[in-house]
Amino acid sequence: MQGSTRRMSVMTDVHRRFLQLLMTHGVLEEWDVKRLQRHCYKVHDRNATVDKLEDFINNINSVLESLYIEIKRGVTEDDGRPIYALVNLATTSISKMATDFAENELDLFRKALELIIDSETGFGSSTNILNLVDQLKGKKMRKKEAEQVLQKFVQNKWLIEKEGEFTLHGRAILEMEQYIRETYPDAVKICNICHSLLIQGQSCETCGIRMHLPCVAKYFQSNAEPRCPHCNDYWPHEIPKVFDPEKERESGVSKSNKKSLRSRQH
Amino acid sequence: MSEQSKDLSDPNFAAEAPNSEVHSSPGVPEGVPPSATLAEPQSPPLGPTAAPQAAPPPQAPNDEGDPKALQQAAEEGRAHQAPSAAQPGPAPPAPAQLVQKAHELMWYVLVKDQKKMIIWFPDMVKDVIGSYKKWCRSILRRTSLILARVFGLHLRLTSLHTMEFALVKALEPEELDRVALSNRMPMTGLLLMILSLIYVKGRGARESAVWNVLRILGLRPWKKHSTFGDVRKLITEEFVQMNYLKYQRVPYVEPPEYEFFWGSRASREITKMQIMEFLARVFKKDPQAWPSRYREALEEARALREANPTAHYPRSSVSED
Repeated sequence: MQGSTRRMSVMTDVHRRFLQLLMTHGVLEEWDVKRLQRHCYKVHDRNATVDKLEDFINNINSVLESLYIEIKRGVTEDDGRPIYALVNLATTSISKMATDFAENELDLFRKALELIIDSETGFGSSTNILNLVDQLKGKKMRKKEAEQVLQKFVQNKWLIEKEGEFTLHGRAILEMEQYIRETYPDAVKICNICHSLLIQGQSCETCGIRMHLPCVAKYFQSNAEPRCPHCNDYWPHEIPKVFDPEKERESGVSKSNKKSLRSRQH
Repeated sequence: MSEQSKDLSDPNFAAEAPNSEVHSSPGVPEGVPPSATLAEPQSPPLGPTAAPQAAPPPQAPNDEGDPKALQQAAEEGRAHQAPSAAQPGPAPPAPAQLVQKAHELMWYVLVKDQKKMIIWFPDMVKDVIGSYKKWCRSILRRTSLILARVFGLHLRLTSLHTMEFALVKALEPEELDRVALSNRMPMTGLLLMILSLIYVKGRGARESAVWNVLRILGLRPWKKHSTFGDVRKLITEEFVQMNYLKYQRVPYVEPPEYEFFWGSRASREITKMQIMEFLARVFKKDPQAWPSRYREALEEARALREANPTAHYPRSSVSED
């Protein structure tokens, strides 16, 4: 193999098993990733001290670099949970989904994606998406069928559904951010704080800049008088709490039961 | 799938009464092509299915993805492709392009495996390799190398006849236990339940027996489940498509009845000992409550250990180049 010989020395069975399992699960929350890492150490290298997760992942990523793939860390837009996924950096189209879905299904996703990006709230309504069914490439799809395809997207963690409206799952944002920014450079919204792609968030009513909810939480943490970082006007929205993984586990709230509030704060 | 805490004294799972028709292997190995052994010298066929057809592998054990076998596959594949492969070839592409193709193929294979879809050689050529068909062999070889070194996965030709590949984990299957018994992969728990039933019976499990067991878990063929969706479709179509189960008509029975057997993939990926451990957990019994099955599981475990005295994936952390 070329180029990465010295980097190869980092790959042990601990890393390999970790990569395999991460790939199997698709996308994982940070707590699960840490558990996974501990499991891999337990299996292959019981006596070693477990690396700090960040270093562990950076080590692996240095090997993956020459393969144009990466373990990417992101944060869910609604409640700031850190998530991880193995993504393909060389993607120039929605290639990860391409193996799973038919041509007309992929096109339905593209249409939904466009609606979501163009919307003010980051959500596309089911009705609006289904109305585009006639414009799809490939085999003709009926609305009933399209409803089921949308559910398939939700099950596969590409979309999230809330009260009949759809937005992008954190995983989709992780995997497709680059593609989205390249394909829709004018329509895309960016967070003023972290400068990443923004689908859901809060915006300043005076100057229009936008911020992710978790970015708002961190920026205005313990600030009694939150002001817009750009125009200094009073920030009119409710400031969410910073995500605290410890509190989460103590309260014993299971993730699947928790209904995070969708904030329509634009 | 959460484990039932009440005593599931389902007669299907009863700690054994003497059973005169002990089936030695779960699922009928319907003519596993002997060429399957070409691709896996000494490596664990995680079930007894390879036994009747086991021919000594014609090449030296090679834990780096068996390039020869893949070459053969590639050549077979090309022979089945457009017959115009004999035209004077175009100029060979730059090495960097072949490397890039190998990376694309690696990702393609990983995603297919993640989605539990079949990795079919003609699809690989159509979707990824494309016009580089002529260099398919070297692309495949490079991809296998990368997968082995970085992911610890072997890209194995599982059936020369159907040109199917599979990504075989070169690691002990123990994580299946942990993963199956957590809430993360409910499908696996459901699947293991059915596989266990078949295994304990020692022969195919009639669909009615399977539903008797699933009924205890609150699953019905006509009811949609919040996690599993259409359960009947899942077990009779999706699991079958993924080769975890076989769903066949019982011969000579009217009105028609169907029964389940282990699929080829289940036989490859799941050991009998795992099934025993699963049963022990779920029914809160000792695995030896199913004595003849437990003996079988022990024997299979011993056979596997004897077949694989050393691990055959790279263990060292020293640079390999």
